[in-house]
Amino acid sequence: MALPKLTAAFSVTDNAAFFRKEMKLTMTKNENRCVVTGLGLISAIGNNVEECWENVKKGVSGIAEATAVDTTNCYAHLAAQVHDDTLEDLPDAQQMDRCVKLCIKASGEALEDAGLTDLGNQTSAGVIMGSCVGGVSSVEHYYRNGGPAADVPKIPIASIAPAVAKVYHAGGVVTNIANACAAGTISIAYACDLIRAGKADIVIAGGTDALAQIPFAGFLSLHALSEAPCSPFNHCSGITLGEGAGAIIIESYAHATQRKARIYCEVLGAGISSDAYHITAPRPDGAGQMHAIRQSMKNSGITPAEVDYINAHGTGTAKNDEAEFLSLHTIFDAENPNLSVSSTKSMVGHCLGAAGAVEAVFSIKALTEGVVPPTVGYTEEDLPHLGERAGQMDFCPNQAKQKPLNTVMSNSFAFGGNNASILFSKKAGNVTLPEKQERIYLTGIGVVSPLGNHMDSLIAQLKAHTPMNSKSSESHVDRNDFAAYGIKSSFYRKLDTFSQLQAVSGMQALHDANLTVTDENATDIGIVVGTSDGPLSTICNYQENLLEKGTAGGSAFQFPNTVYNAAGGYLSICSGIRGYHVTLTSGIQSGLASLAYGVQILRSGQSKAILATGTDENSAIVTELYEKLGCFTEDSAFHLSDGSTGILLEQESSCHARNAIPYAEVTGYGMACKATDFTQLDCSEPACEQAISLALKDAGISADEIDGIVGFADGLPVVQQIEEDALAHTFAKQLPVFHVQSVAGEGRAATASLSAVYAALMLSGKLGEIISCDNGTEIAANSLHTLLVLSYSTNGAYTAIILSRVDEKEM
Amino acid sequence: MQCCPVGKERKIMNQQEIAEKIKTLICEQLGIDAEDLTDEIPLFADAPEGLDLDSIDSLEIISAIDEEFGVSMTGVEKEVFYNVNSLAAYVAAHIA
Repeated sequence: MALPKLTAAFSVTDNAAFFRKEMKLTMTKNENRCVVTGLGLISAIGNNVEECWENVKKGVSGIAEATAVDTTNCYAHLAAQVHDDTLEDLPDAQQMDRCVKLCIKASGEALEDAGLTDLGNQTSAGVIMGSCVGGVSSVEHYYRNGGPAADVPKIPIASIAPAVAKVYHAGGVVTNIANACAAGTISIAYACDLIRAGKADIVIAGGTDALAQIPFAGFLSLHALSEAPCSPFNHCSGITLGEGAGAIIIESYAHATQRKARIYCEVLGAGISSDAYHITAPRPDGAGQMHAIRQSMKNSGITPAEVDYINAHGTGTAKNDEAEFLSLHTIFDAENPNLSVSSTKSMVGHCLGAAGAVEAVFSIKALTEGVVPPTVGYTEEDLPHLGERAGQMDFCPNQAKQKPLNTVMSNSFAFGGNNASILFSKKAGNVTLPEKQERIYLTGIGVVSPLGNHMDSLIAQLKAHTPMNSKSSESHVDRNDFAAYGIKSSFYRKLDTFSQLQAVSGMQALHDANLTVTDENATDIGIVVGTSDGPLSTICNYQENLLEKGTAGGSAFQFPNTVYNAAGGYLSICSGIRGYHVTLTSGIQSGLASLAYGVQILRSGQSKAILATGTDENSAIVTELYEKLGCFTEDSAFHLSDGSTGILLEQESSCHARNAIPYAEVTGYGMACKATDFTQLDCSEPACEQAISLALKDAGISADEIDGIVGFADGLPVVQQIEEDALAHTFAKQLPVFHVQSVAGEGRAATASLSAVYAALMLSGKLGEIISCDNGTEIAANSLHTLLVLSYSTNGAYTAIILSRVDEKEM
Repeated sequence: MQCCPVGKERKIMNQQEIAEKIKTLICEQLGIDAEDLTDEIPLFADAPEGLDLDSIDSLEIISAIDEEFGVSMTGVEKEVFYNVNSLAAYVAAHIA
């Protein structure tokens, strides 16, 4: 932008007007603006935002002797626990894990703060919650009390967002982000993506985690817990675990201004990346962290000079803090002499999946009050050493500082090498979306299932329509599967079954797509893992082991595998993929929800290709838990299964650039929810119809342009009925219906993804010229141009994806 | 001679038996193939010369040896962890 020459004919006032006009031209368009209208928080230093914030400003620490976990024989005994006696007074409290109760409290406070009580069951109202360990308190309760069935629905991370949606009547996208310590930040980023895409007007976004034996024992076994209170950017002797929940209300600018909501600030862009390095340790060169930080500024239209304060990840481990010092110095030293940085974990501990959300609330309070929270824990003797390491950055030792703030960054760097960085600002920044939305193609498929570990086995079974007979079946991968994709035993020996299934299907999909990951394209490729139950066997085994050996007897080797995002982390390491990285969990539909998420990331230009997967494991433990849920009754034809399905999605331009041949185009998606529990799932049928309607709208087509359905019926009578009713209400004529479940069983997220694969295989001609529907009718494959793929969750949420045949002329 | 720590009966073992037991533990806990694990192979050196174990593996080895033999290896110098032979020698010398 050339400066106008100041002459007598061009006054200072004209000059200012010129700049204002220029700035407006590069400011975020109103339709892309996301604003924060409500805050909620519960942590060791307060049961609401006001208490927490006042204590943060005073440098009060909530770290004390842990009482919620038996720390006998443990070298570390401290934690930052929530003290709130009212959690058990919440309605239906006994049906919820502690982490859910914390989340409902924070969400309720945030809504009230936003001047709302209820989201009116609108499909434009969503809930996105992050968590690292979910219902691990309930896992412990299950094993200590002889396995009561009531504990089972409380265990998965996927139970969290629906519980909030149920209380506050959200009817749109309701999902959970399971990226360990980055989950809270990524939840907020995804909420904004959905709002900018017009998929939501208002979202409760945040994160939660409760202190429990598994994470305490796990971090203890890794020697990652500090014996003294954690001392970020100071003694760096390890972390202190905390617990809590943070929630923020994010709205589109239009929605907030229309109802004259009080606006705290804007949420600008975010950067999310993967280290592809190690499952627990961050890259010492900080490359992954720096990529996320740079992306967040680029996506926000903000320069390093404009960042006034960074709420750091700052866990207090030597590895994190060293890498983080390096990242911040490298990016900001030359550009920003006035940068303040602090770690609020020094006061509330490391709240894992809640951390990003807790820190978002602190960042927003800092921004709006012009107060930088301190990093506490420094003695006089420590300060000179801090001065050397911090250089010109002000780490606000011990005391909060008043400072005018316009833009604040919050960073979270998780297990599995997952990095997330986000910006909050008083300014609108320059968040831009691509002018023209690219077509999204499905170009690679990887299948691991009880039917075999390749797409060819699936194709053979689908053609033969061999029904699945076994009540419970499992996939198996062995050294041959690993060898086929160059995965060495020194690597895969560390992976549990869940992660092994994912590694094989992911590598297979890349191979099928003929996509080579290089240094040049690694950050343009991302991973979205969808899972219903995560590494459930590993989590349960870990807990059983702790009951036998005590908190001090946890395995360092197994602990990383108990976090849901380990599988994605390992896939990133063995593939070299370093771009966008998320693990989501929202029940069985997670395999289609991951496709929907991937489509959104590609449409918004945050990635060029996304490996979107659906992965779930079966085992004796998992079968036992599904039995307790009541899935294997006399009138059900439910066949529990598992597997991992990898699907490569690409932008059209990426596809053309490398002459890739797509199986199909993903033309639309829709998600809706009528949050309920499994016993009342039939009440959620309207949400299935809404998901279909939203997908049709997204694809720009009407119901009569759909040629066939790949459904979600899996032998449970209520599920069968919902599908039949939804289709009867939506479609005027009887359409061909297909179910991959009849051949592959109910492998949850793996099966949801497999349903999309089934559709893609039909559309691409890979299933032959004549295709048999479920009812035996044969149809010509070339009569199928557009297929609707559906999936559900036992919480009453539905995802609909529309796939279309790719015309050779279009390519 | 060794005494039996509370809760675990331990028979008297010579160094070779200790080495065999350590190998079993490493294979079981760390997923290493038995055919790859000799008494001499450097545990923490890069493959193919070594087994490429990392810091998490070392924590697991320490924990397994403590549980199996009652010998604490926390803070022991890293030369002791060089291979199965050096581990077995240390354990044999420190069994109470």
